[in-house]
Amino acid sequence: MEADGKQGQEGSPELSLRPLDLSDIDDFMVWATDDKVSRFCTWDTYTSKEAGIDYIKNIVIPHPWFKAICLDNKAIGAISVSANNGNDRCRGELGYLLASKYWGKGIVTRAVKMVASTIFNEWPHLERLEALVDVENGGSQRVLEKVGFQREGVLRKFCIQKGRCRDMVIYSLLSTDPQP
Amino acid sequence: MDSGRVTLRPFRVSDVDDFILWAGDDQVTRNIRMKTVTSKEEALTFIKDVCIPHPWRRSICIDDRSIGFVSVYRWSGNDICKADIAYAIAAKYWGQGITTKAVKMAVSEAFKDFPDLVRLQAFAAVENKASQRVLEKAGFTKEGLLRKYTFLKGQLKDLVIYSLLSTDISVAVDDKLL
Repeated sequence: MEADGKQGQEGSPELSLRPLDLSDIDDFMVWATDDKVSRFCTWDTYTSKEAGIDYIKNIVIPHPWFKAICLDNKAIGAISVSANNGNDRCRGELGYLLASKYWGKGIVTRAVKMVASTIFNEWPHLERLEALVDVENGGSQRVLEKVGFQREGVLRKFCIQKGRCRDMVIYSLLSTDPQP
Repeated sequence: MDSGRVTLRPFRVSDVDDFILWAGDDQVTRNIRMKTVTSKEEALTFIKDVCIPHPWRRSICIDDRSIGFVSVYRWSGNDICKADIAYAIAAKYWGQGITTKAVKMAVSEAFKDFPDLVRLQAFAAVENKASQRVLEKAGFTKEGLLRKYTFLKGQLKDLVIYSLLSTDISVAVDDKLL
């Protein structure tokens, strides 16, 4: 479990990253059933706990790097880094989400900083951490900019989200960039 | 060069001798995935196993002789709106506008063959100015520089990414008609 040490303020809860497991299912369903959270994600809002359990079993648990974002060890979101193979093993894609009740407090920025400061040590073959953000998702773009990712450009009509072709902003952080 | 002499067509096994002339040249294959072919057997295998069965791969020809290739790789799932275009031609034909002509022809054919295709994208190594000029002349838009994006022939590369949208083409056609 990694904590970011920012527990200084009196009574402020500790932020940490740890594996997400089946015992987190109820907390998972809080964000998985929220349209505000799924809006810029590839997945549709969940409508059944069974689907959530399947997702945790089949996707989260075998995933190469998937953590719950926790406040006092309660899962309030998730953050992951995908791995690529062969010639593309130098890059991994960052993804994250947070239950909407906790938006606007700098939590995701702290979580992304934690990942950025450890992933290159955990995966020595990784040279590039990248993220793709919908052009309309200003909040997510600001997170990456605050952490020090470089905005490389806008990829027009890059991929389909919720049935529409979206323009995506691409960001990267290199292992050789100044670490956050 | 009379541009009518430049054509695109599927590969044939009988292209093998012409194929070796460009696919056997390290200069030509430097910035593409395929390995330089070193024998007629390798060339034949590559034509039979890769070029001919490929969903969209064409020989770039002058007077119907193969001088290079252009291919379009369609993505699937949430990425089905896009395809990658790649190309190379024999060094002796560089700098004459032939690749640009071939890419323009390939773009037009690919959007006809894939009517639901929205985005054609291409990657050029940051130091490959000639390839970047081809894409710019063919009407692609430069979107950005992707740092340390992939390994190519064992080297970690910075790539410039370009795109051409189906809507870019229809706008261009409308401008011409005005």
